[in-house]
Amino acid sequence: MSFQILLNFFLAFLWMFLSSNYSLSRLIIGYLLGLLVIIALRKFFKTRLYVDRVWAVIKLTVLFIKELILANITVLKLVIKPKLDMQPAFFKYDTTLTEEWEITLLSSLITLTPGTVVVHVSDDSKSLFIHVIDSQDIDETIDSIKYSFEKAILEVSRS
Amino acid sequence: MKTNDVILQFTAKIVFFIIFFYAVHIFFAGHYTPGGGFVGGLVTSSAIVLLIIAFDLKTVKSILPINYLYLVAVGLLLALGTAAFSMFVGEPFFTHFFDYFNLPILGKTSLHTAALFDLGVYLVVVGVTMTIIQTIGDDE
Repeated sequence: MSFQILLNFFLAFLWMFLSSNYSLSRLIIGYLLGLLVIIALRKFFKTRLYVDRVWAVIKLTVLFIKELILANITVLKLVIKPKLDMQPAFFKYDTTLTEEWEITLLSSLITLTPGTVVVHVSDDSKSLFIHVIDSQDIDETIDSIKYSFEKAILEVSRS
Repeated sequence: MKTNDVILQFTAKIVFFIIFFYAVHIFFAGHYTPGGGFVGGLVTSSAIVLLIIAFDLKTVKSILPINYLYLVAVGLLLALGTAAFSMFVGEPFFTHFFDYFNLPILGKTSLHTAALFDLGVYLVVVGVTMTIIQTIGDDE
């Protein structure tokens, strides 16, 4: 993955040096050409194309923005309800993520989508303890959200 | 009771670089816009303090093996040297010199000896702040 990015930059600089016109536009054109070549020869690489991973990051961002808007509307409904009938609860959520950055990202995503707050990461980093604002029928939906987030993060990190 | 600070530690690692870059930016921006050596030094020490909070004193000391007292001394020497340099040329104490140079990559840049004095201030501020915090933090 990092090798592909390096190769792409190398090709971009090569393109810039082939024409003795050292400008940013030339570099960008070379980069795009190198990208085309790398995509064409993707069979030679042992790992995924890094463009694939960039695409996964973009998908994760879009998913996060969508969830943020939806969850904020849910909390707004809870706030303007005349009756307070919500039942807060803590629950333990077992994660399959291992890397530090993955756990941090997942926790941040869970915390930034309102209704759920990560309060603690277990000592072996295998489970998160999450506080949920309304535990009545929301457990399944929250789990589905988690699986969508977790799946998206795994999509980014798998080699 | 050692808790698992994975989120804090990872975030501190990333944010440290952002704060440090901001400190360098504010240091160099000091001539024409708000900023300068003092603020830059304080922001830099705040970045190191964030590392100390996220990890602990021993780890940070092994990562950044800097004797901050020497840093204060170097900063004071630099400031004094910049101020005293003009006396050897026959100008009054604290006369600054500046000129425009055509550097190979950066193009036309104005270099000013006030920046060196500011660097001295920066080093002194970082050194003093970190000395205070480490001395207080060491008292177990």
